[in-house]
Parts: sequence; C-alpha cells; structure tokens
Amino acid sequence: MKVLMSGNEAIARGMYEAGIRFAAAYPGTPSTEILEEFAKYDGVYAEWSPNEKVALEVAIGAALAGEKAVAVMKHVGVNVAADPLFTVSYTGINGALVIISADDPSLHSSQNEQDNRNYAKFAKIPMLEPADAQEAKEFIKLAFTISEKFDTPVFLRSTTRVSHSKSVVSLEEPIPYIDKTAITYNTTKYVMVPANARIRRVAVEKRTLALKTFANSFPENKLEINNPDVGIITAGMPYNYAKDVFPDYSYLKLGMVYPLPEKLIREFAAKVKKIYVIEELDQFLEEQIKAMGISVIGKEIFPYTNEFDPGIIQNAINNQNKATDLPVKSIPPRPPNLCPGCPHRGLFYTLNKLKLFVTGDIGCYTLSFMKPLEGLHSCICMGASIGMAHGMSKALKEKGKGKIVGVIGDSTFIHSGITPLLNMAYNKSNAVIIICDNSTTAMTGMQEHPATGYTLLGEKTKQLDLKVLVSALGIDNIRVVDPYDLKNTRAVIKEELAKDGPSVVISQRPCVLFKRAKLKAQKPLQVDPEKCTGCKVCLGLGCPPISWKKMEKKEGSKREGVSVIDENLCNGCGLCLQVCKFEAIK
Amino acid sequence: MKHRVSNTKLHSKVYRGGKKEATQSYSTIRRGADDAGNKGRRRKAAWLKDPMNVIITGVGGQGNVLASRVLAGMLVNAGFYVTIGETFGMSQRGGSVMSHLRISQKSIMSPQIPLGQADIIIALEPVEALRVLIKYGNPKVAVLANSRVVYPIGVITGELNYPSLNEIKNVLQKTAARSWLIDATEAAVALGNPVLSNVVIIGALAAVNLLPIDRKAFVKEIAKNMAADKQKNNLAAFAAGFQLIQ
Repeated sequence: MKVLMSGNEAIARGMYEAGIRFAAAYPGTPSTEILEEFAKYDGVYAEWSPNEKVALEVAIGAALAGEKAVAVMKHVGVNVAADPLFTVSYTGINGALVIISADDPSLHSSQNEQDNRNYAKFAKIPMLEPADAQEAKEFIKLAFTISEKFDTPVFLRSTTRVSHSKSVVSLEEPIPYIDKTAITYNTTKYVMVPANARIRRVAVEKRTLALKTFANSFPENKLEINNPDVGIITAGMPYNYAKDVFPDYSYLKLGMVYPLPEKLIREFAAKVKKIYVIEELDQFLEEQIKAMGISVIGKEIFPYTNEFDPGIIQNAINNQNKATDLPVKSIPPRPPNLCPGCPHRGLFYTLNKLKLFVTGDIGCYTLSFMKPLEGLHSCICMGASIGMAHGMSKALKEKGKGKIVGVIGDSTFIHSGITPLLNMAYNKSNAVIIICDNSTTAMTGMQEHPATGYTLLGEKTKQLDLKVLVSALGIDNIRVVDPYDLKNTRAVIKEELAKDGPSVVISQRPCVLFKRAKLKAQKPLQVDPEKCTGCKVCLGLGCPPISWKKMEKKEGSKREGVSVIDENLCNGCGLCLQVCKFEAIK
Repeated sequence: MKHRVSNTKLHSKVYRGGKKEATQSYSTIRRGADDAGNKGRRRKAAWLKDPMNVIITGVGGQGNVLASRVLAGMLVNAGFYVTIGETFGMSQRGGSVMSHLRISQKSIMSPQIPLGQADIIIALEPVEALRVLIKYGNPKVAVLANSRVVYPIGVITGELNYPSLNEIKNVLQKTAARSWLIDATEAAVALGNPVLSNVVIIGALAAVNLLPIDRKAFVKEIAKNMAADKQKNNLAAFAAGFQLIQ
C-alpha cells in the first residue's frame, strides 16, 4: 500500500514495522511528530521524558534489558544528552539502541544551526542519513540491524526538510514483536570506571574499524555512474536537489555518513574526472575525503549556512548568481508573533513597562523580545534563563537589585530549570524567576509533561505541583498571578523585586490554543471611534487584531486616526481594555 | 534498497522529458482555462506540465498546512506522485508560512521548488502572494490570492507600510500570467467561520481549472478523516469558493 507520509511519520512507521516497541523523547521541532506518531501504534511503550538526557538514559536502560529502543531529539537536544551519549558508545548495547537527531539547517525553529554529523565522529557512533520519507522508513530498520550486529548505538540523522516533507511511501507488513528482555549481568562492560573504560575504549576503536569495512559494502552507499565528467558525492536531502537539476551526472550517494566508505570513495574518484561534494552546513564529508588525498570541490562554491534547494546547487556549479528582482515594492516582513489572547502578552507587556533586564528561555514567549513588547533580553538554551539571572544579579551586586528577572516556561522549567533554581536558593540569589505556566508544551504543539497530569500514551498520572516543587528547592517567596490581570501582575512582580532573596512568580493561564483547557473565547472587543483619542497605547500590546486607521484631521482636533479591532481575530482577552485610559474599548 | 536504484533511474529519464514539455505546454493550460472561463463551463484540466510546482502560502494559523494536505490528498487519490515541502514550528505563530507541492504523473521530485519555478501560487493573504511571487515567480505563473489582509506586527505598530490592495493588484497583473484576487475570508465569514477561507480558496482553485481537481475529488478526500458535521461546512466553503470565480 502506498500512502503520503512525512519523514517523521515514516520513521515512526519504520520503527513499528521493524518490531520496535520502546521509545523515549523530549519534543523539539523538527523531531516532535516521530514520537507522537509512534505512540499511536498498538502495543508500543512511548514516553515524553523531562529532557533529552533522561530520554536517552531511559532508552539505554531499555537496551540494557535486551529491548530495541529509540531516543528521539532535535539537534540541540543531543547537546543535553551528550553526557550519556559519549559513554554509551563505550559500553555498547545489549538489545539495540538508535538515537534520532533531527537537525535544523536554516534555523527554522532553533537557536543554532549545529551539524550533528560531528557528534557521530566525536562520539564514534555510526550515523545513517535518509534523503526522503521512503528512505527514512527503511533506514531506521537498517540502523537497528547495524546496532545489533556491531554492539553499538546508531545515529539516524534527519533534517527539517526530510522530517517535514511528505512523499509517497510503500507500507510493509510489520514483523511481530519478540520479547527478548531479561536481567543479565556484565559489570566489566557496563560499569565505566577507569579500569573497565580503558578496555572498552579499545573495543570502540576495533568496532569503528569493522564499521569502516562494512561501510564499503553497505547497500545504501550507492554508486550511480552516468556521465563520467562530473561526479557528485552527497547524502540526505541534497541528493534529491542535485538530481533535480543534474540528473545526468554520476553520483555516490552515502546512506551512511559516518564512518565513510574509503574504498568506495576511491573507486568513485577513479571513475569520474571532477568531484563535487554537496552537503549542507559543515564540510563534514569534504574534510574527510580531502584527508584521503582525493581532490574535490566543496565549500569553496557551496554555502556554509542554511539548507540548500535545487537552485542553490545549480547556481553554485554553473557559477551563476541569479538575481530575482521583480518590480515589486518593499514588502513588510512577517515574523511570527504571539497569538491573540496569548497569556504571555500581558506578562511581557508588564516586564517591559517595569524596565528590567529579562533573561529569557526557549518557548513561544521568546518572541516577546520583538517590538513592541520588548520584554525579553536574552535567550541561549533550555533552562539558561535561571542560571543567567542568578549570574547577572551576583555580578551586578547592588546595581542589579530589583532589576533582574529570569523567565521560563513550565515545560522548559521541568526540562532544565530545576537545578539552577536550586542553585539560586543555595547561593542566596536576589533575582526573581517567573515561570510562565501555560499548562502545556505549547511551542511544539501541546505535548504533555510532568505537570500536565497525562502521559504521552494518554494515561492519567501523578501531576507535578510546581508550587510544591519550588518550595522544596528552598524558595520561600512564591506567588501566583493571572497574566490577564495586568494591575495585579505588575504589583506582585514589583513586590517580589523589592524583597531580599530569590522569589518565584508563577504566571498561570493555559495556552489559548490548548484544547483540553476548554477555554471559551470571549466576545470580540470593539473600539468606540468616538471615544478613541488615537493615542496608540493599545498598539503597544502587539496584538494581531488591533491595528491603526488613519483619518482626516477634524478641525480643532489633534486626532490623526483611531485603533480598530478585527473581530475575526480578537478572542476578547481584555488586555487592551485594561491599557486604554479613555474607556474606548468595549 | 532496490527500490531506490530503480527510482533514481526513472527520475533522471523523466526529468529531461518533463522539463521540455513544460515550456511548450503551459500556454495550452492557460488557453484551456480561459475558454472554460468565458463559456462559464468547466472541463477537466489537462495534465500538460510535469512536474507542476504549486506553492500555498499564508499566515500561520490560516490553515495553510490543511489546505496543502487536502489538495495533495485529492491528487494522490487521482494517482499522482505528490511531494509536499513545508516547514512548521515557530512560524506557526502568525508568521509567513509556505508549502511547496510538486505534482507529477511519473516520479517523486525533491520537496523544494527551485527559485523562479512556481507554476501556481495560492495565497491566503495578499502580501504573502507578493512575497512568494518575488522569489518563485516567472512570467508564466498563475496566482490565486485571498484579498483579505492580515497586518504584520511592524505594520500594526506603525513602523512599516502595507501596500494598498490596488498596488497589489497592479503588481499581480504586471508580473503574473494570470491572477485572481478574491475575498475568500468574506465568503468564509458568511458561512460562519473565517477559518474556512482556506477551503474557499481550494474551491476557487478547482474553478480556475489549472489542476485536475473537482468537487467529487474534494468530497472523497474530506470523507477520509473529517467528522460528518465538519464535512458539511467544508463542502459549503468549497462551493462558495467555486462560485467566486464564476
């Protein structure tokens, strides 16, 4: 049967077809749908772990028990999981273990553009890279075969374009699940104290050598000899782009990007006159191929940054720079924005008015750094807001008193905000931390987490009480506010900033898009054009339905226009009503 | 594994043929649609270019992704190879969004349409039509756009200007081979929900006769995974869109 599937759906399907029943992940674009889709199959165990490190450790545990397990994460998630990653490479696995890294060339939804192929080389773990949904389904199966055969964790690398593109996939009958789990002891292999780890270190080198040999005969490293004048070495999605524009050239398409098949690459080099290495981001393949003494053309003509498309490859090889200027006037850019009725809006409006330095974190609220809210001033990684707020406040001493606030979402706080908050209590911090609790993992599309009270499989579970947790970490000043109430939110934050010692304010209101919260949209608001003085204060909320309409000046009036609210977009949250001093909004 | 090899060979053969056909036959499509428009009757669009490159664009939250999936679903049901390239995530939140559909009778294409090579641009918001037209347009492109504006944040705060509808119309007329600007949102609001404007546009797309889709194909596609009560509304939206072109 053939169906239209995204790369992520195909990976989940491939896992199921291969008899895999165990997976753990933390959501992160573009990887999220892999586990969401996998969780829908019968008889699987799938969990959202609090972060990627935990997800990988859960998968390692399952593999140690003899299970075939998967850990799924976005590229920066591998940074979080790097600690267990480097050592599980030494121990190897008992069942089978695959780590899926979904990279994000072009930074569609990420804070950086790191190329996780480097992790494969760094941690000495083989890596497969599919080029489309069909391959994604096949390669996840091959990854498990390699994991079992070589006693190694295996990476499957996807990119946004592979994960989120849909194409036709052939479905196959799933092989039945076989339970091979059991408790077995092998301490010299799994207890990584120096004496044991030194022995495993050597085993890893031997394994890499064996994998290098295997790579030469790995059927997904494919030679296509067509026109012998030009050869292209590539992997993953760029292969499709290159085939679109240069169908007649010769290709070496690498299904395994680490370790490289040296013999096969030499064979290819001997058959073609000139070689281009086409790869997005780092010159990962190019460097290794050049180190073999083979002359190739790579990053001297192809871009280092952003994802490719067929045009980029064509222009680079043909040395063309097509300027595409049509007679169109400047078009206003449209960056993403907080939704109408978003609970974050009121909070960040308030933070801006209080003239603070706000260390931010990863989530929808990061968008409030933009005009007009401008209520957030840094964003590095998951959890960084808290450690940074503490560090800034310590460094600034008296200058920072009452000025430093760290802001973090509920899911992000659970991911990696707990330890830095403990640190604030322990090291006598003076900063205020605000947890934006919207009752879900909103940015990636409403995933469950420990404080939602539900698991990925839809079961009710123990619900984390954020207040109790924060208190247990040693924070004495804990306040809860509703960010729709601007006056109280402002007053509470001011009070907490004035106190000595750390405070936590929980800004609590469910995401407006969160269906389970069953929020009823209020009646859309309207501007009374008679009462509106055109002061533009409401525009400072940056709310999508509110805009400004120019009017002709009446005699004796300073008014140049009025605000208008698009009733199709307004959900009646009432923030604009609170900021209007002229009672012009009803 | 074998699958890929044969697929690849097919791919390279197909491409050369497909490209050549493209330049010759596009005018035929246009004539066909014009004729149909003048007579007020539709005939099934002939499949004359391979692949057809379609971009659906809009503002996050307008139902861009759903529109692309419904359209792709109809074409897959009709036996076409369809590749959809889309990005979602952060851009969902009121930012510009874009789906690339590549439709072929013969093989799978890469999910990104090369710059300057869109055949049809469908826009749920007028300025988004221009944004895509600049990058992917060419003298042969057809544009179907919703005329209802959604202001970007920079315009709301008064820092940037939004072009007037007349300016947008002029640009479309100058740069696209054919264009339609319709108030899909008004039609959707008349049906009780502005969210339906994406389906109104799909109805209009069926009416302009550039792709082999019709009401029957739409009914079949939405029957697959939509609740019965929702189907009714969506069908009304489809019909309303079709009417807008009549």
